[in-house]
Amino acid sequence: MALSTHTTTTGFLLPSIHSAPPFFTQQVHAASLSTATEHWIQIILKYARHRKLFTIKVQDCEAPGNDWDEVLRNERINRKLLPSYLSYILGQMVSQKLAAYDPPKQDRSVLIYWRLPEEWAEVLHEWATSTGQLNTILTFYEITDPPVESPLSGIPVTLLRQAISILSKTNRAQIIGIAEGEGVRFFPSMGKS
Amino acid sequence: MALARFTKPVDGTIPVQALLYADEELLSSQDAVGIYDGLQKSPEHQVGIVHVTTQRLLYIDASRKARSRSFALDLAHVSRTDHYAGLFTSSPKVTLHLSADDSSVGGGGVERSDRETGVESGFETWECEVCAFRNPPGLSPSASRICGLCGVPRSSAPTNIQPSSSTVGTTSSSLASSVSTSALPTPRNRESIACPACTFLNHPSMKKCEICDTPLPRIAPAVSASSAENGTTKSAPATRPATPGIDEGAMMIKLSFRKGGDKPFYTALKRSLKGQAWEINNPLNRLLPNANANDTGAGVRSGISGIMHAVETRAQTRDTHMSDALQDLEALMVKAKDMVRLAAELNERLTVATAATSTAAPTAASASASEPEEATFIRSSLTQLGLQMENTPVTLDMMKDERRWIEELARELAGVLQGSPGSGSGSGGGLMSHRGLIALDEVWGGWNRARGVALVPPSTLLLVVPHLPAYTDPPIKSLVLPSEMRALHTPEYEPKVFGERVVRRMRLKSTTTTEIAQREGVGIALAEEMVSLIEREGGLSRDDGRYGDSDSVGFGGGEVRWWANVFVGYIWDGQA
Repeated sequence: MALSTHTTTTGFLLPSIHSAPPFFTQQVHAASLSTATEHWIQIILKYARHRKLFTIKVQDCEAPGNDWDEVLRNERINRKLLPSYLSYILGQMVSQKLAAYDPPKQDRSVLIYWRLPEEWAEVLHEWATSTGQLNTILTFYEITDPPVESPLSGIPVTLLRQAISILSKTNRAQIIGIAEGEGVRFFPSMGKS
Repeated sequence: MALARFTKPVDGTIPVQALLYADEELLSSQDAVGIYDGLQKSPEHQVGIVHVTTQRLLYIDASRKARSRSFALDLAHVSRTDHYAGLFTSSPKVTLHLSADDSSVGGGGVERSDRETGVESGFETWECEVCAFRNPPGLSPSASRICGLCGVPRSSAPTNIQPSSSTVGTTSSSLASSVSTSALPTPRNRESIACPACTFLNHPSMKKCEICDTPLPRIAPAVSASSAENGTTKSAPATRPATPGIDEGAMMIKLSFRKGGDKPFYTALKRSLKGQAWEINNPLNRLLPNANANDTGAGVRSGISGIMHAVETRAQTRDTHMSDALQDLEALMVKAKDMVRLAAELNERLTVATAATSTAAPTAASASASEPEEATFIRSSLTQLGLQMENTPVTLDMMKDERRWIEELARELAGVLQGSPGSGSGSGGGLMSHRGLIALDEVWGGWNRARGVALVPPSTLLLVVPHLPAYTDPPIKSLVLPSEMRALHTPEYEPKVFGERVVRRMRLKSTTTTEIAQREGVGIALAEEMVSLIEREGGLSRDDGRYGDSDSVGFGGGEVRWWANVFVGYIWDGQA
């Protein structure tokens, strides 16, 4: 079989293994299974970063017409990832702390940590510093949907809350209750300025 | 008097054996016997042969008037016996005290009426009303009063010949009853008892319903009516003295043994009286007291339950016989063990003897040469007899033999598998001459089919298989598949080689189990096992081939497709 890489319409470079039909089936042989699952996790994380996707659901592989079509199915070899296998992969991701079930207490949908919450905290603080918004109160909406495109655009509130709580542990942010809901105030970090 | 009352005349010219009922047995005979009727000598019965049977005492007169003077006495009438050893000129005597007690005798009235009407009721066939069984003639009166098959009393006998005695009458009520509303088409309008539970019209002698086992009500007026009617038709008890004590002499018979032989005869008589064969064969006597005393059903021997009981009893007897036979067999086995031990000893002695002769007497060359021959002959004949010493510890000798046996079997199996090179009987090779992989069950079947006789058990096959590589070329080895199934394979079909070949062949395309099976010439089941073996080793990777729910049917026929393991040695070449 001619395995070759493939560039999707969104410019994502799929690995050559993505065109191997067995890749889409849950393998029985343990070593094969772990290898394949590792590759799948890589693909999902990289594609999520590429498209800035934050969630993936098991049913995303069942019906076409969502953000994950390009990776979860391969029209060229007529294969798609099976839901049972995707569910297994997501479970692996959660156990490796590369994702978290969101909402919790179910296993059909996960929040993908293509950046870890700690990394997000740094990104958040950097953004606040660079845009000169230290010591001002910001609503969550202002962060997730800023007028100027930012690395944080579209970040789920769950993830944002985690990042802020990490920052608040080092006294770099503070949750403030305001009339419209909740807000946050960032402080300059100790080391800098 | 006693003679006239209790005995029946028999034709003394007929041999005794022919006089017996079918269920009667002759126990003892004694000639030169005289009879005392009461205390007086009976002048007509002074020289004769007395026979005692299980049921009766027969006197066959030795004079020419044997036809008229011979008689039979039912032992059922005998209440007590005395033995008088004799003194000087008086002969030894046996006194039989007779009793006319109807309830214990049972058949007394019947026989009298039989005699009155001149009909020997024991010698006719009759058909049971309940089960239509045709009862054979020749049974004793007590036995012939109930059906031989279902045990129901013979109630439907012609009433003028056999009016029931009072004991029979309580249950069988053979007479017509005016109160009967039975719709039975039988001309005799009998008093059937309707079951209170299922309304089945039961035979009057039944205590429980034949269909549903519900206890039946006793119909008092009918019984009393019938017994009253019985009383009128029955003449014998009315004319009989009520108590035996009235006339001492009237109630006894003496046998005078003029030429001795009294002791063995008396023993036989006692045995017969103790045996009470007439009681055993007369279920009425058992049934009726029980009916009054307890309703446990112990006495129920009629109807369906009677038949069931009879079958059960027969099965039990068969069981006993069987276990007896098996006991014999066990005894034989014990003996066989002795023989085995004997054989072992013989064997040992032979070994010692041959060793002694070969060392001590080199001169007797001919003798020592012949002896081992005899020894081997004895040994081989012992084994041919099946005297394998299982209980004795396995000796080196036997080990060697067994190993040789297994090895011979291995050689034979090799011939079956690969075709025997020597014989070449045109069979066209063995099981594996064209196949590299074969399941062990098929091997076993094929081998035994080739052997035809003295089939090899699977356990032996398993013993033989490890020896196969030594006798096969190319060596055939065994293999345990993932499902615990065992198979034999040639070197080309070793899982590793097989897997490599499969992978090499498919190279750039996928394959299915069916295709592998076809190409490799093995059965699909075996191919599946092999493939899953290879998959476990990581040689293959599976592809369920399902793309979408809609087109899953059309693609690949739903069968798993196999690919070479694409994950081994793969290096990430996608997006950084």
